[in-house]
Amino acid sequence: MSDKNKFRKKIERNNKIAASVISISGYGVILSIVALFAFLLYETIPLFYSASVTKTVSVPSNKNSKIIFGDIDSYKELFYSINEKGIVSYYNVKEKINSGNDTIPLLDNEKIILSEKSTTSIGRIAIVTDMGRIINIKIGMRSDFVKDKRNIVPTFEIENNFNIYGSNKDSSFGISNLSYDISSDGNKFWSWLDNKGNLYLKIFNSDSEQFLDYNLSKQTSTFGLTALIIDTENELLIVGNNSGELFSFDISDPEDVTLKGNWKSSNNKITKLAFLIGGNTLIVGDSKGEVESWFQTRGEDNQLHFSPINKFKKHNSAVAQIIASPRNRSFLTIGENSSVHLNFSTTSTTELEFKMNDHSIVYGTFTPKSDGIILVDNKNNLGVFNLDDKHPDVTLNTLFNKVQYEGYNEPEFVWQSTGGSDSFESKFSLIPLIFGTLKGTFFAMLFSIPIALLGAIFVSQFSSKKLAKIVKPTIEIMAALPSVVIGFLAGLFFSSLFEQNLMLIFSLSLFGPLLMILGISFFGFIPERIRRNYPSWVDIAFVFVLMCLVYIIVSTTVYPLEHLFFNGNLKQWLYSSLSVTYDQRNSMVVGFALGFAVIPIIFTITEDALSNVPKSLSSASLALGASKWQTVKKVVLPAAAGGIFAAVMLGLGRAIGETMIVLMATGNTPILDLSPFNGFRALSANIAVEIPEAPVDGTLYRILFFTSLLLLTFTFIINTIATFIGDKLRKKYARF
Amino acid sequence: MKINIEQALGKNVKVTDKKLVTVIRTNKVNFYYTRDKKTLDNINITISEKKVTAFIGPSGCGKSTLLRCFNRMNDLIPGIKMTGKIEIEGNDIYSPDVKLEDLRKKIGMVFQKSNPFPMTIWENVAFGPKVNGITSKSDLDEIVEFSLTQGDLWKEVKDRLNSSAMDLSGGQQQRLCIARALANKPDIILMDEPASSLDPISTNKIEETISELKNNYTIVIVTHNMQQAARVSEYTAFMMTGNIIEFNETSALFTNPKEKLTEDYITGRFG
Ligand SMILES: Nc1ncnc2c1ncn2[C@@H]1O[C@H](COP(=O)(O)OP(=O)(O)O)[C@@H](O)[C@H]1O
Ligand SMILES: [Mg+2]
Repeated sequence: MSDKNKFRKKIERNNKIAASVISISGYGVILSIVALFAFLLYETIPLFYSASVTKTVSVPSNKNSKIIFGDIDSYKELFYSINEKGIVSYYNVKEKINSGNDTIPLLDNEKIILSEKSTTSIGRIAIVTDMGRIINIKIGMRSDFVKDKRNIVPTFEIENNFNIYGSNKDSSFGISNLSYDISSDGNKFWSWLDNKGNLYLKIFNSDSEQFLDYNLSKQTSTFGLTALIIDTENELLIVGNNSGELFSFDISDPEDVTLKGNWKSSNNKITKLAFLIGGNTLIVGDSKGEVESWFQTRGEDNQLHFSPINKFKKHNSAVAQIIASPRNRSFLTIGENSSVHLNFSTTSTTELEFKMNDHSIVYGTFTPKSDGIILVDNKNNLGVFNLDDKHPDVTLNTLFNKVQYEGYNEPEFVWQSTGGSDSFESKFSLIPLIFGTLKGTFFAMLFSIPIALLGAIFVSQFSSKKLAKIVKPTIEIMAALPSVVIGFLAGLFFSSLFEQNLMLIFSLSLFGPLLMILGISFFGFIPERIRRNYPSWVDIAFVFVLMCLVYIIVSTTVYPLEHLFFNGNLKQWLYSSLSVTYDQRNSMVVGFALGFAVIPIIFTITEDALSNVPKSLSSASLALGASKWQTVKKVVLPAAAGGIFAAVMLGLGRAIGETMIVLMATGNTPILDLSPFNGFRALSANIAVEIPEAPVDGTLYRILFFTSLLLLTFTFIINTIATFIGDKLRKKYARF
Repeated sequence: MKINIEQALGKNVKVTDKKLVTVIRTNKVNFYYTRDKKTLDNINITISEKKVTAFIGPSGCGKSTLLRCFNRMNDLIPGIKMTGKIEIEGNDIYSPDVKLEDLRKKIGMVFQKSNPFPMTIWENVAFGPKVNGITSKSDLDEIVEFSLTQGDLWKEVKDRLNSSAMDLSGGQQQRLCIARALANKPDIILMDEPASSLDPISTNKIEETISELKNNYTIVIVTHNMQQAARVSEYTAFMMTGNIIEFNETSALFTNPKEKLTEDYITGRFG
């Protein structure tokens, strides 16, 4: 009795243990999928955070003399400002203490009225005084490490100065605008407007070590010039006037400066101009507060013209400042009424609006790493702001909509994540990648569904048991083939085989099945009484012989045909007559290779589903006088529909997620093109391709996470559909 | 045991009509599933028109095999071999000129386990006529009603012809299978233990259906239930290990068996 009890207890205990282990692992699986989703989301979400600014410090200043300039080192530790009396005061932001001064030597009663820093050369500043002098200074920030502690030490240097008033010195004379730049080969450019609207350009030619002076006013025919800017590549000088016209001068040859063109960009007075990083996009601000970006596109005459691209959020007053970021395509626009807008050119969004206070801003700049903003108002208030805008170039719009990138004539879907230079404009459209995935999947399914389904129907319904015993494991071995091997074969072997035998491949895939069907239906005419006495291998031998015959027929006729219709070379004919280019690694090759990976999945599951249809159903059908094919079509296939659907969906999921094959068998060019002769880049392959280019937590890194999330969602949806619809079909047709 | 059978026979109509027309005739039929295993041994039997003929015998004696020879369902099994001759309505059904589909259209079959298609009731019944080329909906409707009526199911399902056949009860499903076989307007109906997996009430219903059908069809029924054979059939063949031991009018076979083996079997000494 007690023995029996013990036994019962043991069984109960084992039951409990088994139940808990099973449920824990069950929940574990669900949990890990949820966790995976959550992790991908966690890495993706910051892409869509909006920008924010927080004021870090107000730097104390001498309220008696106007501040002309302010900047900070790249670690945002040492701030300095220049006031109208030429005093350069340094302020340690961390410790909140003044840390010394430097002095720009000025004459008696001389005051600084304007300053401009070179966009290309850090710490180079041109200073204009009311006595007509331009003084060029250089303020460097050296980081010294004392006992592993960083210490920023400023270096101050006067480079040169010159007088721009020349001989006609006159008390009413003044300078209203200055642009200053130093090119990579050492040429220096100063361009300014005087208060009579004259335009001057002074170039220091580093080859001849000589200054060249130009008065360009006469070339602009109209007066009233109001704004100017030299582009960051030092090839163009753009000047705007009070009726909204812009003039561009070619300054790429210091010895020969010419007016290149002019165009109307606004109906109002141009108040400010700026070039964004890279020197392509020109931002134009006018007296009504309009802000618009322009860059050169090729017109119908095949010449480059400036075209309006995007409008940004309007200011309620004239645009007083436009400040380009030194790192990306962000720029600040500041209205006369002190409103500050942070814009991003690629996304054509105004990400942020804020105000330091109600005084008008006289000077603003980005910190060297573009992670902060410095503003100075007319009451000498100095503000240093932290800018948190890690992924300004990504919005849902840029990911999924057409965007007009610099140099493009129209908005397009482009994926080009990295380029040669720091000023490269990243192009993050996911459409070409999604398209690539769908294209590859489409061709793969086009190739694999018929073969896998027909194969499964044949093996489960028509072939002899012996043959099925050979075919099934063979196809299962196909599934075990590493995709890198398939990809390798496809990329290196089949692609060139396809290319060299294009016509043959085409004819075979077109006429092959036709001739086969013809041959087989001829086989069908052989009377039953003769056929019944054949051993079962005769069918197979017949099909094999037929295949060889078809191959011989097609391959002998294909070359004469190619000569007759396609001038002897189909590939060349495609290009010359249809202007279809043929990539060696194209969608057909991928469809073939990827199909190879998908066939075993579809085949195996379909075969199972078909074999699971009870024999009693097909017997009933046959006993009712249905032919074998009628039975398969009307009874077996519907009864297996759920399984077949699931098989196709699982194959689809595999094709979408497959990476190695699409990576190796296409050229991975992210183009949007339906042609089967072009390659593509799939989402999955893109991740593999881009990983080395994607620094942790960078924009590309997060976009790759986003694409993983997309892929996971795709396959998740497909598998869910497979299960749900599969179940529905099973409930409807397979209740046996 | 014997009393039970006599009770069953009581219901049976005595065979008085002597003008019998032979429908199925077998001549020295031997059947092998594998080369060395003879399943049917020298079967000679004649089955008469519009009569119910029952095959009884212990399990594994070849009743189903013989039945399947009549509509050539055995052809599906690889490796089989058959010798001898089977004539139906005077034609050798194993002659090369015979089209299998035509033969099976003429011979309906009801299986041991009911096997309706996972389709609607209507589609189940219309299946046979459809695969045999009838397309007109009104013709099909007519056939469906006629067959279901003959199969004794019309009253129960006429309002739900478009619901799934799988929702019917076991007995209804089997009667649906009978109706489905009738839809082809066959001459002969083969039934392989049609009631073996049904409860007594459903069995009863099936037997009633069979009794109604025998006026219009030649029915061959396999059963291992002797009372059933006694109740529904006019002729009975007793089989053992691939041989027909005795074939006679049902009443004669049960009340006055000529063979010792038959007597042993019907008195329950084995089987
Ligand atoms: N498909 C088959 N393949 C091989 N042997 C079979 C097959 N069907 C039946 N048999 C064998 O043939 C013999 C007769 O079977 P069957 O006709 O089904 O008997 P019964 O219907 O009288 O019970 C049995 O021994 C059985 O094992
Ligand atoms: Mg049987």
